[in-house]
Amino acid sequence: MRHIISILLDNEAGALSRVAGLFSARGYNIESLTVAPTDDPSLSRMTIVTRGSDPVIEQITKQLNKLVDVVKLMDLTEHDHIEREMMLLKVVAKGEDRAEIKRLADIFRGRIIDVDDETYTIELTGKADKLEAMLQALGSTKILEVVRSGSMGIARREVVLKF
Amino acid sequence: MAQESTVRVKEIQPGIQSGTPAGGGHPLAGTTMTGAEMIVQVLADEGVDTIFGYSGGAILPTYDAVFRYNREHGDRMPLIVPANEQGAGFMAAGYARASGKVGVAMVTSGPGATNMVTPVRDSMADSVPMVVICGQVPTTAIGTDAFQEAPISNVMGAVAKHVFLVTDPRRLEDTMRTAFEIARTGRPGPVVVDIPKDVQNWTGTFKGMGRLPIRGYRQRMHAWNENRLSESRARRFFELLGESHRPLLYVGGGVINGDAVSQLRALARTLQIPVVTTLMGIGAYDTTDPLALHMLGMHGTAYANYAVEDCDFLIAVGARFDDRVAGMPSRFAPRARHIAHLDIDSSEIGKVKQADWYHVGRLDEALQALLDHARTQGFSRDFSAWHRHVRDLKKTYAMNYDRESALIQPQYVIEEINRRTRGEAIITTGVGQHQMWAAQFFDFKEPRLWLTSGSMGTMGFGLPAAVGAQFARRDRLVIDIDGDGSIRMNLGELETVTTYGLPIKVVVLNNCGDGMVKQWQKLFFKGRLAASDKSLRKKDFIKAAQADGFEYAVRLERKEDVPRVVEEFLAFDGPAFLEVMIDPDAGVYPMVGPGMPYTEMITGDFIPSRTRPTDGEVDSSSMF
Repeated sequence: MRHIISILLDNEAGALSRVAGLFSARGYNIESLTVAPTDDPSLSRMTIVTRGSDPVIEQITKQLNKLVDVVKLMDLTEHDHIEREMMLLKVVAKGEDRAEIKRLADIFRGRIIDVDDETYTIELTGKADKLEAMLQALGSTKILEVVRSGSMGIARREVVLKF
Repeated sequence: MAQESTVRVKEIQPGIQSGTPAGGGHPLAGTTMTGAEMIVQVLADEGVDTIFGYSGGAILPTYDAVFRYNREHGDRMPLIVPANEQGAGFMAAGYARASGKVGVAMVTSGPGATNMVTPVRDSMADSVPMVVICGQVPTTAIGTDAFQEAPISNVMGAVAKHVFLVTDPRRLEDTMRTAFEIARTGRPGPVVVDIPKDVQNWTGTFKGMGRLPIRGYRQRMHAWNENRLSESRARRFFELLGESHRPLLYVGGGVINGDAVSQLRALARTLQIPVVTTLMGIGAYDTTDPLALHMLGMHGTAYANYAVEDCDFLIAVGARFDDRVAGMPSRFAPRARHIAHLDIDSSEIGKVKQADWYHVGRLDEALQALLDHARTQGFSRDFSAWHRHVRDLKKTYAMNYDRESALIQPQYVIEEINRRTRGEAIITTGVGQHQMWAAQFFDFKEPRLWLTSGSMGTMGFGLPAAVGAQFARRDRLVIDIDGDGSIRMNLGELETVTTYGLPIKVVVLNNCGDGMVKQWQKLFFKGRLAASDKSLRKKDFIKAAQADGFEYAVRLERKEDVPRVVEEFLAFDGPAFLEVMIDPDAGVYPMVGPGMPYTEMITGDFIPSRTRPTDGEVDSSSMF
C-alpha cells in the first residue's frame, strides 16, 4: 500500500543522505522524495512516498525514528490529509492543437506559464493521480519534458507535525 | 618525541564529568584552547582512560594534544597503537564490551578511517558503544580528492549509529560530548566524529559544557527511558505466565548492554523459569546454574533448542529473533501460545516474530517491575513438571563429542581450559567453528566475559578484542580462542600484545583451513572445498609468535599432552601462545541449517536426536 511519510529533520549536513541511505540499505522503495527548509530554519521537512505492506511500513517508520537527525515523523496516510504535487510540462503546441491543449489545461486547472510559437509550458498542481490523468489526457500530444516535484502533504485540521 | 620548543603547552585537566560541573562550572571554562585540546579535554571529562589508535597526517594535532595531556597527567590516557587501524577499532570494541564503558579509537583520514569501517559496523551490529575520532583533510580541501581523503561521513553514515563531520569549530566540543551521549544511550552503538585538520588547529574559547540539540533523539530516549512497565501490563504478563505450563526465558545481548543482568537472574530464579541465551546473551545468566539451558539457535545446544520447541510461553528479553536463532520464524517456538518481548529498541518488536505482550524501555526497570509485581502479588506457580522435562532434556541431549578419537578434539581443549578458568576468564574469539565450540563448552559466571563478533561475524576479532579487554580489565585472565583462519586476519596484533606486555593467552585451534566454511561445503556443496583448505600453506604460527616476542609459544600435537600443556600455558607469567593441531574434520554440532526449523536439527554422531531430520534437498544458492 502507498504511504506518505512526513519527516521533520534537523537541517544538518548528511541528514538527507542518511534518510535516503536507510531506504536503500534496507531495501525499502522510494516513489518520491521532496525536502526543503521550514519556517524554522534549523528544520527541514521531508515527504517520502513509499509502498509496502503494513509490517514494512512499520519498520520504515521505526527505523527512521532511530536516525539521530530525525526530529519527528508522521505517516500522513494514517490521518485525513491533503496531498499535492506540482508538475511542469512542456508540450508541442502547433496549429489546431494549441486551442485544444489550452482547453485541456483549463479543465485540469493548469496554467500555461510559458509560450512560444511551437510549445506550451504548463504548470499543474494536484494529487499525483490528477497529474497522471493529465498526462493520459494529453493523448497524442507530443510531450517534450515533464518535471514533477514529488508529493508533499499536510494533515487536516488539528493534526500538526511540529516539534 | 614532541618538539617542546615549538608547541604551546596547555594544561588539560583530568576528567570531570560533563554536564555536572562541580562548583558551577568547568575549571577550564573560558580558557583558550585549540580544537585538538578541546577534543582531549572532553575525552578526559567523559572518563576516557585508554585510547586505541594509529596516527597520521590529518590527526597529528590531536595526537600531539594527547601526548601533552599524558605528560602533564602521568599517562592518564595512554594511546595504544595497533598494527592496523582495524585492530584499534576492535581493541576499542573489546574494551567497551568488557567494561561497559564507551571505547575510544582515534585514527587519521582516508585509509586510517576506512580501515575502521569494519569495527564500526561490527559494533553497530552488536550494539557496542564506541566513539571513533577520525582526522579529515582541512575543510578547504574536502571534496578535492586530496591526499588521504575519503568521504567518511558518507561511508560511516551507512554503518554507524551516527556520524558527525565537524566543519564549524565552534561546535566541536558540543559535538564531542554529544557523540558520547549517543554512543551510550538507548541501544548503544558506535559514533564517528570526522574532524578536519584545520578544526583541530583552530583556537577558541573552551566552554566546558554544552551539547548539540539532537532534540528528536533526546526526546525519544527520554520517552523510552521513562516508559515504565505499568501495573496493568505487569498483571497481564502474570496472567499469561499463570496460564503457562512451560515458560522459557530467551535472553539476548540487550540484557548485558542494558545492565539488567542482576534483575534477569533474580526474575528467573524467583519465578523458576529456565533460560536460553543467544550468542550475544552468553553470560547474562550463569551457565553453571541449573536453570541455564545455554545457547539456542543454529549451533545451540540440543536441549536449548528442544526447550524452545516445547515451551508454551516464550519471554524474549533483549533478543531479536535473528536468522541464526529463528532460521524459519514461522516455525520458531511452534508451541508457544504466547510470546512476550522486552527491548529498548522498538524496531525489534514485531520485526521478525509477533509478540502478543511487549514492552519497550529499559530492561533493568522493566524486569524489576515484573519482579516487584511477582513479590507483592505473591505470584507462585508450580512448574516442576517442566523442570523435570528440562532436566531430562539436559541429561539426555547433553553436549558431547568424539572423546575416544586419537586426534585432538577442539572441545576437549576447551574443556581442559574451562576446568581451570571456571567461568571466570574473559574469552574472546574469532569467527567460525572455534567460536561456536567456545560458545558451547565454556562456562561464564558473569556478563562481559564472553566477547565475540556475533552479528557481523568478523574474522580477526579475537586478538585485538583481547588486547582491548585486557586494558579494560587488568585483573582478569584474558584468553583469545582463535582459529587459524581468523587469527591470520589480524595476526599483526600479536606484536601489540607483547609491546604492551599484556599477559594474554592466545589459543589457535588449527584445523588447517576455514573450518566452518569446510563444514558448509561438506553439507551443502558436495564436499568441494573451494578456497577453504589451507593444509599446504607454509605458515608457522609458532615462529610468527616468537618473532613478535612471545616467550611462550608452543605447538600442541599429541592428545595425551593436552592437560599438561594447557596447565603450563595458562600458568605462564606473560603473553603466551598455544597452537593446537586439532582434528581437521571436527564439526560443530548440533546444527540447524540456515533457514531451517529446529525439527531439522542435526545433532551429529555423539549427541542423541529426538527427531530425524528429513532428507530434503537444500537450495544451497539461497541460504546464508
